[in-house]
Amino acid sequence: MRITVTGASGLLGSSVAHALVTAGHEVTTLQRRPSGVAGATDVLGSVTDAESVERAVTGAEAVVHLAAKVSMMGDPKDFEAVNIGGTRTLVDAARDSGVQRLVHISSPSVAHTGDSIIGDGAEPASPEFARGEYARTKGAGERIALGADAPDFRVLVLRPHLMWGPGDTQLTERVIDRARAGRMPVLGSGAALVDTLFVDNAVEAIAAAVTAVDSTHGEALVVTNGQPRPIGELMSRIAIAGGASQPKLRVPVAPALAAGTVVEKVWELGEHDDEPPLTRFLAEQLSTAHWFDQRRTQEVLDWTPRISIEEGLQILADHYA
Amino acid sequence: MKFPARPATIPPQLPEWDPAWSRIVEARTSDGTHAFHVLDTLPALTAAGVEPAGTIVALHGNPTWSYLWRRLARATVDAAQSGGRAWRLIAPDQLEMGFSERLPHSAMPDPRSAEVRRIADRIADFDAVVSDLFAEVGDSGSATHPIVTIGHDWGGVLSLGWAARNTDLVSAAISLNTAVHQPDDAPVPAPLRATLTGPMLPTATVLTDWFLKVTMSLGDLDAETKDAFRAPYRTAADRWAIGNFVADIPVDANHPSDPELQRIGKDIEAFDKPALLVWGPKDPVFLERYLRDLRQRLPQADVHRFEKASHLVSEDHDVSGVVLDWLNAQFDSPDTVNTPTEAAPPPSERSSTAASAQESGPASPIRAVTAILDARSDDEAIASVDFAQNPAQQITWHHLWHVTTSIANGLLDLGVKPGDRVSMLVPPGNNLTAALYACLKIGAVAVVADAGLGPKGMTRAITSADPQWIIGELPGLTLARAFGWPGKRISVSPLGPVRSRMFKTETSLTELSRTPHRDELPTPAADADAAILFTSGSTGPAKGVRYTHANISALAAVLTRVFDVREGTGLVAGFPPFALLGPAIGATSVTPDMSVTKPKTLTATAIADAIIAGRATMVFASPAAYRNVAATAADLDAQQRAACAGVELVLSAGAPVPLELMDSIAEVFPNASIHSPYGMTEGLLLTDIDRAGVAEAEATGGLGVCVGRPIDGVELALAPIDESGESSAELLQGDAARSRLGEFVVSAAHIKSGYDNLWRTTADSSRDDLHGLTWHRTNDIGHIDDAGRVWLEGRLQHVVTTVRGPVGPGGLEALVDTDAQVSRSAVVGIGPVGTQALVVVLDAEGTELSPGLAPLELTTRLREKVAEEGGHDLTAVLVAPVFPTDIRHNSKIDRSRLAAWADSVLAGGPVRGNV
Repeated sequence: MRITVTGASGLLGSSVAHALVTAGHEVTTLQRRPSGVAGATDVLGSVTDAESVERAVTGAEAVVHLAAKVSMMGDPKDFEAVNIGGTRTLVDAARDSGVQRLVHISSPSVAHTGDSIIGDGAEPASPEFARGEYARTKGAGERIALGADAPDFRVLVLRPHLMWGPGDTQLTERVIDRARAGRMPVLGSGAALVDTLFVDNAVEAIAAAVTAVDSTHGEALVVTNGQPRPIGELMSRIAIAGGASQPKLRVPVAPALAAGTVVEKVWELGEHDDEPPLTRFLAEQLSTAHWFDQRRTQEVLDWTPRISIEEGLQILADHYA
Repeated sequence: MKFPARPATIPPQLPEWDPAWSRIVEARTSDGTHAFHVLDTLPALTAAGVEPAGTIVALHGNPTWSYLWRRLARATVDAAQSGGRAWRLIAPDQLEMGFSERLPHSAMPDPRSAEVRRIADRIADFDAVVSDLFAEVGDSGSATHPIVTIGHDWGGVLSLGWAARNTDLVSAAISLNTAVHQPDDAPVPAPLRATLTGPMLPTATVLTDWFLKVTMSLGDLDAETKDAFRAPYRTAADRWAIGNFVADIPVDANHPSDPELQRIGKDIEAFDKPALLVWGPKDPVFLERYLRDLRQRLPQADVHRFEKASHLVSEDHDVSGVVLDWLNAQFDSPDTVNTPTEAAPPPSERSSTAASAQESGPASPIRAVTAILDARSDDEAIASVDFAQNPAQQITWHHLWHVTTSIANGLLDLGVKPGDRVSMLVPPGNNLTAALYACLKIGAVAVVADAGLGPKGMTRAITSADPQWIIGELPGLTLARAFGWPGKRISVSPLGPVRSRMFKTETSLTELSRTPHRDELPTPAADADAAILFTSGSTGPAKGVRYTHANISALAAVLTRVFDVREGTGLVAGFPPFALLGPAIGATSVTPDMSVTKPKTLTATAIADAIIAGRATMVFASPAAYRNVAATAADLDAQQRAACAGVELVLSAGAPVPLELMDSIAEVFPNASIHSPYGMTEGLLLTDIDRAGVAEAEATGGLGVCVGRPIDGVELALAPIDESGESSAELLQGDAARSRLGEFVVSAAHIKSGYDNLWRTTADSSRDDLHGLTWHRTNDIGHIDDAGRVWLEGRLQHVVTTVRGPVGPGGLEALVDTDAQVSRSAVVGIGPVGTQALVVVLDAEGTELSPGLAPLELTTRLREKVAEEGGHDLTAVLVAPVFPTDIRHNSKIDRSRLAAWADSVLAGGPVRGNV
């Protein structure tokens, strides 16, 4: 199949492109920098640029849309341009050029309003109540993608949850770096249950979605390892796998939530290009339960996570050894 | 004050209410044509393409309206659509109630006012409304289209009255809390008395919504539901009839409606069709005495009590489910009406198959419980020794026969009738044995509630059993007096005039035992109730378990057949249920010196003295008692030691016995074989395992607690548990039942005949009919191994349902407890059914562990163990600051509370919160 992958410069995007090439597909990638994926044809450009998008999707039978602005802080306009505008541009161009399948990568945060999620399915995106610009704009983008779903333009949305593994800079490296510096906090008891997803499983789930979208479309699926763990335990194990010692810094929840809010405000005033150490959103994520019912996901994708959390941690430890 | 007329209206949108059910019906009543709002599911059934095959007519009371029947409407329509018998529900709002027409009034309602609509009028109204509606479906009231009534509050008595006067149409009647008759000797219940005192009436019922509000508080209703009930009663004008209803309560014989109520009561007595009474005992107005009165009028009635329910019983409990199940049991589904081959085997066939299963062991014809006692009326050998008396009291067979026959005669003289219930508030020993066997001789039913239930639990238990008599020693009589337990009192010893008046005793056992033997005693039927034994109440209110004379005879036969307890055997009975069976078997039973409710008070010397006194070769007690016996064994002297060495059988019942305890018991009784049967109040002896068996089972490394194999005469089956944690309808036996998680289901002649006043619980627990036998669902879960051994893994309601399938907590707990860092554990499930997270909670007490997340290394070890042995993903290991245990059973962990705590902690809640 001819497949276009957007956002193939990131870990997940490039891994997906690579997996699809390996599976024998003809892969075109769209991102600002070369993807480095052997066997794929790079189109350099942004999803915000209609012309390069059109070039990337022309002739494709399926599109996997991973390109997004992922960050905890930043100018709302930048988020909107990529996550909302870029998605609209991509959807329009793909439909116009006769693409029949779209796998849109979203985030569980689009439906997370701050309450605990305990074994729920994928609730509809609710950008109105989303926490932070990322979740808000991803929610709006997901609505655009699902809104375009039709019998001749089948859309399936995947929401991978808290991905980690070798090469992941978003969560894994930060946890390890902070733990090494003795600055990795455990919020509250650290017992809040969270679902996570080992990176290889994420790649395979997305590849499975390219096939599954033929029979099931028009819905969103949260993708996880199906092994919820206490957040404190998992962060400790990731830190240890990365060669750090077990985080000992305990922070009560309420002050952390307050601190997160303050830090966000201070960060917005300053000229920081990196991420703030703690946001209210992150504090909530680290102190409330959010784990999901995976039965529908696994049934639709005809996929199960190949690598367990325990095996993933071993792979991570080997990577850092 | 003027009250204007108002036509009937259609209710607005209300929660759980389908507008398609509403219709306005004009009916010709005694004072002209009036419009009624009626809940009628006929249009909904027709729209679903279903033809009604039965009609339920429902009548609400004061101050509710047909909204009370919304759940029954939903349940009947749903059942009809999923292929069950299609019941049409017709539930009118009474005139001037709910959304029915309001008549004009010029004055407040008053008991003597001509404007008050009387109960006679209301029955006529009901008749007028439903008769027209029946005509809409051609065969209503025919053999293929039964009509059933249901009512609540005053609608209960009105609908029963209508049913009793229309037996040509009506096939069965159901009532929730109601009252037919105001007994002359009891005052009107307090809340009503307040409302009825003349000038208060209009204010409480019409001018304010006080009466409405108070009624809405007699159930756990949310704000929207309360609003829905109040919707038709917003203004004083709307509430006129609430006052009317109260004004028409016949408080005394001078009330205008009293003669009609008396007539209704008489008519109900003549009603002989099936009846069901569903009751909420916490109702402050419709008290127990009204249920008692109804049961006397309708002796054929099935009863289902929701012990925690108040007046609005159908708001808090699944009354619709009980009603539908009961209707299914009364009326074959339309599909099977014309195919008799589908029907259950006739009763005679069933009992013969049951008997053949029971006779799979050595032949054991059913023998009356008191037959051996009667046969030994001249025997001067020792029948019973009672160490609870000081000095120990021993009585001969002749004496026991004589005393029980005298008491039996005395009880009859006193007015005790066969079938009367007698609450036994006497600890085990000769007095209890005498009282019990006297009752058995005349067919009086012994009610036994363990003092371990505590005063509140005992009150609930005894009130629900509603005994006519109480036989008690002083502590029991004191409780009976303090908590107002029902039943005329009989003391054990004579009390003297002052205390006799204080405790209102009629007589004493001592006095009764002097009654001459005059009468030929009545012979109770084999299927008549012999005893009601209450469960321990570890899973909700204690349930009364009914045993017939045949059940008790069969239980005695099991002890003979399986454990060789026979005539002449001496046994020390330190475990209450078995302590009572000696006279039925002809064995000499010795009650050791101990407190029944505190088995730990049994010492080695006490048991040895009992053995010597009874020349006993068998000892029955509980594990807790044996633990203390083993701990105090050093106090035994040489003679006592020798007596213990002569014991051939040690039986430990009540809880499983770990190998280490079996070994300790073996040190005290070196020549005894040690058995630990498994059972429950509903089936006291189901499986058995001995010391060698425990050792053998332990060596297999199986998960759970091994309780051995079914004893002779017990049929065992397994109902596999599905991914949602429910046990299946299908029963498996043999190879198909091996090595899979299921609920144990048993059949034997000595299991319960039913639960008392719990119609649905009985029906649920005995719903299986494999091989035409009567079965009992034990609610215990576990597996059967390749060698046919039974392994317990917990209770059905504690099954954890993970995506990989259902998990029995007991099996994994046994595995977790093998870790050196663990003292004890509970396995619980968190999250939605079918995708639950599997969580181990450890007890911090007695370990180095601190509350919160368990240490990483321990978590790793337990997770690997669980994955290897059970194939499950262990989500988390938590350490709880305290382990809540069931109040009754120190050893039983309260998993529900631990699960709630774990649920909160794993959602980010505080670790130090309430467990």
